[in-house]
Amino acid sequence: MRGEVSERVRRELEGILGPRRVSSEAVDRDVYARDMWPRLLLARRAGDAPAHQPDLIVWPESVREVVAIVKVARAAQVPIVPYGGGSGVCGGVVPVRGGITVDTKRMTTIRSVSADELTCDVDAGLIGERFERELARRGYTFGHFPSSIYCSTVGGWLATRAAGQLSTKYGKVEDRVAGVTLVTGRGEVVETDGPTRALRGPGWTQLVVGSEGTLGIITSARLRVSPAPQLRIMRGYWMPDVATGIEAIRRVMQRGLRPAIVRLYDELDTMINAASHDEVGAPALDEDAFAPSPAPGAGPLPPWPSPDAAVEAGPLARLRALARGGVAGLRREAMGAALGRSRAFNAVLGVAAERVARAGCRMIIGLEGARIRTEVEAALTFAELDAVGGRDLGDEPGLRWLAHRYAVSYKMSPIFADGAFVDTMEVAAGWDRLDELYAAVRAAIGRHAVVMAHFSHAYADGCSIYFTFAGSGGAADDARGHERVYDAIWRDGMEAVARIGGTISHHHGVGLLKAPYMHAEHREAMTIYGALKQTFDPDGIMNPGKMGLDRHA
Amino acid sequence: MPESGRDVDAVTRALVDLVGRDHVTAPTPGATTPVWRVAPGSVVEIAGLVRAAPGLGVVVAPAGSGRRPPVHARPTVQTSMARLCHVLALDERSLTAHVQVGLTGVDLEAQLVPRGLSLGDYPPAVMRSTLGGIVAVRTHGKSSARTGFFEDNVLGVSAVLADGRTIHTRIAPRRATGPDLARALCGSEGAIGILTSLVLRLHRAPEARFATAYALPSVAAAVAAVQLALREEAAPSGVRIYDEAEARVHFAELDLALGDGEALLVAGTAGPTDLAACDRDLVSSAAIAEGGRLASPALAELWWRRIHGGAPTPAPTPTTQLMATPGRLVRVYGAIAAAAAEAGLALRAHVSRFDADGAVVFVTLVRGGAVLAETDPGAVAVVLAAEGAGAFPLGARSLRLDGYLAALRTAIDPDGVLSPEALT
Repeated sequence: MRGEVSERVRRELEGILGPRRVSSEAVDRDVYARDMWPRLLLARRAGDAPAHQPDLIVWPESVREVVAIVKVARAAQVPIVPYGGGSGVCGGVVPVRGGITVDTKRMTTIRSVSADELTCDVDAGLIGERFERELARRGYTFGHFPSSIYCSTVGGWLATRAAGQLSTKYGKVEDRVAGVTLVTGRGEVVETDGPTRALRGPGWTQLVVGSEGTLGIITSARLRVSPAPQLRIMRGYWMPDVATGIEAIRRVMQRGLRPAIVRLYDELDTMINAASHDEVGAPALDEDAFAPSPAPGAGPLPPWPSPDAAVEAGPLARLRALARGGVAGLRREAMGAALGRSRAFNAVLGVAAERVARAGCRMIIGLEGARIRTEVEAALTFAELDAVGGRDLGDEPGLRWLAHRYAVSYKMSPIFADGAFVDTMEVAAGWDRLDELYAAVRAAIGRHAVVMAHFSHAYADGCSIYFTFAGSGGAADDARGHERVYDAIWRDGMEAVARIGGTISHHHGVGLLKAPYMHAEHREAMTIYGALKQTFDPDGIMNPGKMGLDRHA
Repeated sequence: MPESGRDVDAVTRALVDLVGRDHVTAPTPGATTPVWRVAPGSVVEIAGLVRAAPGLGVVVAPAGSGRRPPVHARPTVQTSMARLCHVLALDERSLTAHVQVGLTGVDLEAQLVPRGLSLGDYPPAVMRSTLGGIVAVRTHGKSSARTGFFEDNVLGVSAVLADGRTIHTRIAPRRATGPDLARALCGSEGAIGILTSLVLRLHRAPEARFATAYALPSVAAAVAAVQLALREEAAPSGVRIYDEAEARVHFAELDLALGDGEALLVAGTAGPTDLAACDRDLVSSAAIAEGGRLASPALAELWWRRIHGGAPTPAPTPTTQLMATPGRLVRVYGAIAAAAAEAGLALRAHVSRFDADGAVVFVTLVRGGAVLAETDPGAVAVVLAAEGAGAFPLGARSLRLDGYLAALRTAIDPDGVLSPEALT
């Protein structure tokens, strides 16, 4: 934004919001320059200034204010970037053309829960934890528990088609939304709710959800809620191998059973997790201290930050420890060296993992819901797992996973602090090509980094695969070196998905990270997205430069 | 635009060149607006028609099984998809089928059943339509508590756009890569693109089915029982509530033993045996909790044979169908009953096709022994009363985003070649 334009826009926005809710302070511009995209963390670690910053940050409190902001921006032809919790991992909020970043977190009202309709109207800026606590207090659940629940918003979930850990039962967020209120790039309010299964015409809700701010700003939503679960049953299982585990999940889902949680860990993931089996009760590693971790049975949402130290090191810390040559080995160079030769490292780990694989793979499975039906479904589900040769490990592994399920994000920073990087790639495909997709993506990432995976978020027609990888591109402050390796991982991983089929993203979204692969994902169908963009945002002010739209607008 | 008979002949010749003489029906001579019926045999031919349309001065509109007589204001090439009726691929591992749009639900089901598969629990009236028609035209009732909303089982679509390009939306169980672009075409009635094939999610044929019937003190109690069972997570394959008058018409051959103002609740459950039995028991205990009692199994069996065995339903076509959300069902039924009484009309109704969005109320209004047409002023008054209580009439259209729909259509079809009269 040119200086005089910026000044004029700032004055106009202050006229709408007052001076306290408009900022052009350096510290705010710096904070709102990024989300949690690991590539940006690498630049930050190296001390680089952000490549893109917003010119202004605003904090509206009502739909009317959002409309006024968009109108000011439209008149001045200034970009707008909606910003929720900033927990995204794809750079979706990076203001690549500057402009106004609109933080929605002051819009937090929960309107009534309709007990008859089982819906709840909620503002987009509400943080997930608060939303779920409010519902729990009233005897309901939204059933959406992402590991980012303490730092992500309802609007952010909807903008990115997010998934929670219990999505196998409750569905992804797009399965749970009855309608949204959106301020479009034209500066108009549209409401997409209503009995969408009965009304003729395109399904607008599903055309807006997932648009990552490119069509407008979601200001509130009508969400479907469920009665709070009366019963939860958790189990650990050993499966003879990954293929058998996948087959077991497929059989469960295709019998019409809906466990809330299904997680099958591949050999390396199992090995790393299995190692921590021996250490229950061992002192916590320091990085777990801030991870919310309740005692089993304390309910779905532990307080934050946790008063109790975590007991399980967790897969990432374990990976880090392995890379360092043992829990006690602390030399940063050892980690860098191991990750820098990841092909060899993967081979070594592979041999070790194979030994574990002969003993089996680990699966966590859990069911929750209404008492009677959950009990019946649990019996049928466990019978399927037994039928393929699974071994019941009792409820302890499941309960332990439950207790530490929000800890994963808190384990990332130590790896960055050690001079390496870690990221995740979540892809999905039908059962017909899931094995192939797993092998191809694993090989693609494995050329550059240490990689492990688990299968979760299962459906009758397929499943998602969640790859976690740790890599290094040289010295800690060599941001360019790290970026080269990082970009190569994503390029090869995405290319593998495009080749095999399936989707490049199951629930993290696109942002800047996957924008170059959007055309490979959608091909000619991007025409429709381009037409939507033209319809909702004719001036192209909404989150420009994202989602690979530029070549189709 | 063709104005003289000669122009009509020229268009006919061009169409014959595109799809062959056997697949073009020329307009009725002397018709004010010429309408050609064309049956393309491939996606390439559809693309050819769409590309040629602006030059020929015609628009292109897909025709379904065609129960609604089309009215066209402009010279129109109506494309029948009857020749696009193949199952292109059947994936028994992922339980998906890639099918062309001209296939009817019944025809696809006939290929699935021997393999132990099924599209799901959808009413015969829906399944007789072509799959393209079911997906392109959204009307309520294409839903089942067990197998979901029909459209939610559409994993991907292929379609020809106005510029003749073919798009295929990508297939994955779920994704987070922007809007769900297939939803622009589902329900678009041919205005955004012409659907040519669909990837549909299939279901395994259930291991067991149960059907039971209950007598409840009132329609309100029956609705409460269904909602109680759904809240306990029962997922019946079919549920229907009859008011007393409707029950007497639908089950005239059986002894109902229904008291004054009582309602009949029939429920079918399906799935793995234990689960189907569990759902049956959940419905049963909900019905009893709401003051109901078990009714004759013969009622349930007859209903079952009608929805799954092709046994005919004796009742005539209802006057109107209305959709109501779960919280408004009882109020809507009450408003209908009050308005009918005020207008001196005899009312009978059943409530069916329950899902998370609500259910459909089938309303039959009778005056002097004759069923009223939907356009009868008495029926209109009843419908208005129902809408006042929060009901949505059949075929209602969301008007709120009309400006955006128009803009989207212009962006994707600037010349207005595709079904310009749809959704207006």
